[in-house]
Amino acid sequence: MSESQTLENNSYLTFMLGDEIFASHVSNVIKILEMQRITEVPRAPSFMKGVINLRGNVLPVIDARIKFGLPATLYTERTCILVLNLKIDDETVEVGAIVDAVNDVIEYSQDKIQPAPRLGSKYKSDFIDGVMKLNDQFIMILNMNTVFSTEDIIDLQEQTNANKEVVSDDETSKTE
Amino acid sequence: MDMMEEFKQKFIEEAEELITNLEESILILEKNPKDQEQVQLIFRIMHTLKGNGGMFGFNKISEFTHNLESIYDFVRNGDMDVTTDLLNITLKAVDHLKVLLEVGDDLDTQTQETHYHYTSQIEQIISRKSGGTGPAPRGTSPARTIQTNNFHHGESAFSTYFISFKPNDYIFNNGTNPLYLMDEISTMGHAVAIPHFENVPEITSFEPTKCYTWWEVFISTKENRGNLADVFIFVEDDAIIEITEIADYDLFEEKAFNTYAEFLQTENQHADLKEIKKIIDNATEITDIPEILEESPGLEQTDKSDVPQLGDREIKKPKPKAESSISSIRVSSDKVDTLMNLVSEMVTVQARLSLFAEQNNIPELIAISENVQKLAKQLRDNAFSISLIPIGSILTRFQRLVRDLSNELGKKINFEIEGEETELDKTIIERITDPLLHIIRNCLDHGIEKPELRLEKGKPETGSILFKAYYSGSNVHIMVRDDGAGLDPERILSKAKKKGLIDESEILDRKQIFDLIFAPGFSTAEVVSDVSGRGVGMDVVNKKISEIRGEVLIESEIDKGTTMTIILPLTLSIIDGMQVQIDDEYYIIPLGAVHKIYSITGTTAEKAFDNVIVLEGEQLPFFNLRKEFEIGGRVPQKLEVLVVKYEHGMVGLIIDKVIGEYQTVLKPLGKHYKKQQFISGGTILGDGSVALVLDTNKIISKFSRKNTKPEDVK
Amino acid sequence: MPKTILVVDDSYSVREAVGYTLKNEGFLVFSAEDGQDALKYLDSRKIDLVITDLHMPNLNGIELTRKVRKIDHYARVPIIILTTESQFVKKQEAKEAGATGWIVKPFVPEKLMTVIKRVIR
Repeated sequence: MSESQTLENNSYLTFMLGDEIFASHVSNVIKILEMQRITEVPRAPSFMKGVINLRGNVLPVIDARIKFGLPATLYTERTCILVLNLKIDDETVEVGAIVDAVNDVIEYSQDKIQPAPRLGSKYKSDFIDGVMKLNDQFIMILNMNTVFSTEDIIDLQEQTNANKEVVSDDETSKTE
Repeated sequence: MDMMEEFKQKFIEEAEELITNLEESILILEKNPKDQEQVQLIFRIMHTLKGNGGMFGFNKISEFTHNLESIYDFVRNGDMDVTTDLLNITLKAVDHLKVLLEVGDDLDTQTQETHYHYTSQIEQIISRKSGGTGPAPRGTSPARTIQTNNFHHGESAFSTYFISFKPNDYIFNNGTNPLYLMDEISTMGHAVAIPHFENVPEITSFEPTKCYTWWEVFISTKENRGNLADVFIFVEDDAIIEITEIADYDLFEEKAFNTYAEFLQTENQHADLKEIKKIIDNATEITDIPEILEESPGLEQTDKSDVPQLGDREIKKPKPKAESSISSIRVSSDKVDTLMNLVSEMVTVQARLSLFAEQNNIPELIAISENVQKLAKQLRDNAFSISLIPIGSILTRFQRLVRDLSNELGKKINFEIEGEETELDKTIIERITDPLLHIIRNCLDHGIEKPELRLEKGKPETGSILFKAYYSGSNVHIMVRDDGAGLDPERILSKAKKKGLIDESEILDRKQIFDLIFAPGFSTAEVVSDVSGRGVGMDVVNKKISEIRGEVLIESEIDKGTTMTIILPLTLSIIDGMQVQIDDEYYIIPLGAVHKIYSITGTTAEKAFDNVIVLEGEQLPFFNLRKEFEIGGRVPQKLEVLVVKYEHGMVGLIIDKVIGEYQTVLKPLGKHYKKQQFISGGTILGDGSVALVLDTNKIISKFSRKNTKPEDVK
Repeated sequence: MPKTILVVDDSYSVREAVGYTLKNEGFLVFSAEDGQDALKYLDSRKIDLVITDLHMPNLNGIELTRKVRKIDHYARVPIIILTTESQFVKKQEAKEAGATGWIVKPFVPEKLMTVIKRVIR
């Protein structure tokens, strides 16, 4: 295996959603676009923000905040669209994901990645490839394929909704 | 060699077509075994496949069709009858030919087995026949190889031959030029030709159309006698030809023989074979060292006076006419696809140009841009028409299916076809074939009843399936109608409830009930039969048709039959659209769908009672797209209504305003928006933004279904 | 002026292959799909050789040969019939109709040229 490949294999893009940092393996990210006008598609779930023109083709765009059950906020200068390359049912699908900000591309050795916490986590473990620890902060590595794949969108929304309840429960009782 | 590969590819394409035609003809012939036209056609196709197969390296095809050709030769000469047996084996042969065309001459063991199996079956038919009156079949052995070139298998050693060639005087009549034959002979070895003119008459009785010359030739060659004779093959009935081997070595190595030949040539003497024998006998005693021989004077000395030269013939110069044009050419479908893609890109770029010209308001640029727009549109229309093919091109597969399956199921079926000339985009045709096969299979399997049952029901014993294709606006409809058992709404409903597809309490209308058969996991057959119910069901059919922006409508009555109508767009990629605006979003509506446009005020739309507005005295149900699309914002003072055709009537769609015509290159929205079926896709506008392309039929059906319930209550 | 050959065959792959071989040899080649089509060409051009398939729709090779022979200035134009072994019996019929010769299918380019050189140069 060549060095560059090794590097790439250990590279992660980190981005913000609300106050939380998430990471995606760089292999899933094709490019990062500035926020732009999005053509809305009527009668679609609220997290499906619409479509944009990407190199002459139509790219569906998902608002990751809404998808993760966070309240929608106004877009800022730091808001961007990650163009993702996903594998859904053996097909390659391109999709855009709106995130609050892109932080960094970091290298993180695979063997230092801890498995996803199973119980008591806010997020379903299918959607999380693992956890990395950076400056005493835990960062979830998202499995972009499952998080943004068509079939799972609804599941995830339900999941996050359910989690919201869990979260609010957490806040009141702190025991679970 | 590249060239050869290219021809081979062309042969394959052509053969595929021929095999399809063959299949079609057999099926027609089956209905009417006396149809001479089909017999002729079948014969001709077999003949072509046989002849051409070998030329392009498909020797197995050549062999295989050989006996079939003979059989259909008997048939067309009335020496053999068209039997079910014969048609069955021919159809199997058709399937095998498809395989042979794919694999070429390298057969795997299994194919090899089938090959011999069918070959021997066909042979049996021939041998049963050979006692009959017809001409004896030639070459019935399957392993028989067809000689492709009989030129280069002479022995390596030289022999010397004497040829006497006396053409009849009328030999010129068929366009033969004996000189060319002499030329050819002289290319085959070292030859000396001696022309004889003693028969040439006096100039007064000389007829230029007659041949008076004859020849004697000595040739030493490695070619065998057969190959020499082959040169004269065209004239063997029009001449006296004698070929005698005079020595089994090169006699020109003998000095004495050279001298003799030279003597004959200069003196125009007839050759004396006894003289030659003497030379040979002497030569065997003392072997001379061969000399380097001069080029044979050959035919140069021939007096050409009595040989008309073809090139010199007087021909009335015809008036130069317009080149008779070639009516059609073949283009590979890849090229058509590329053309369509390029045209799509051009249309998109052209939209940018138009916008740019408008924004900058330079008159000349606007004029140029308008011209480009016109050209792009023509180019698009042209490219589009190229990619259309008639639906008839896939019908043979359906006919074959009906034939095979009805036999298998013991059902009698009359399969009728209408509108086979209806044209559709190539891509659509490709993608519609499987769903249609499935639908027809369903008709046969679940629709049409067994003959006894049909008689019990008081129906004709033979069931009928009608396949009909026709244009309707900017759509093509494909209808498959059977007169079979029909769908039972009650049964569908109870099954759907049992399977948990719908709630016990749900009330559905007839259409909604029939649509349940498209639900995944629904199968109408009680027993999963061999034929249809193998997992892939109507849900797959529906999905595949939706993928090409089509729709399936079902109508059915118990014991009367079922009609499935597939509504398809004419093309997938580019459509004539009308750009409209709602709030600050643009949408494209297919131009073909729009009937009329009216202006109304915002308040009229707001206050309209029962979703009906009155336009020109007519009541028109309408949908306010701003509302239906849940677009907020302020409703402008002036609105526009697009009147579009829907099923049997007109429906109004209210939008803010019409922008104008827009040539639309359709791009899919992708998997994530697959639930938004009323949107055909997106298109890139001149400013680079995306506009959604609306499917008016689906919009109306979607929103009217939602609206019917409260209205019904009222 | 190169010699002009008209290739008549309902199979376009044969027309193409034969046409290609002949063009390579410096002939001017026209092709027609059937006998009817061929007559149109003969009408408007000077053709030095006709190569025709036997079995074709509309007008077959033998009928074509008969018609060609009836045209004044084509009475002696060489006509070569493309045939297969099984139709060898047709040879006589073709000759009686006025054909000059024949080529047995399948054939390779060298064979084709051999036969053609028997009738034109």
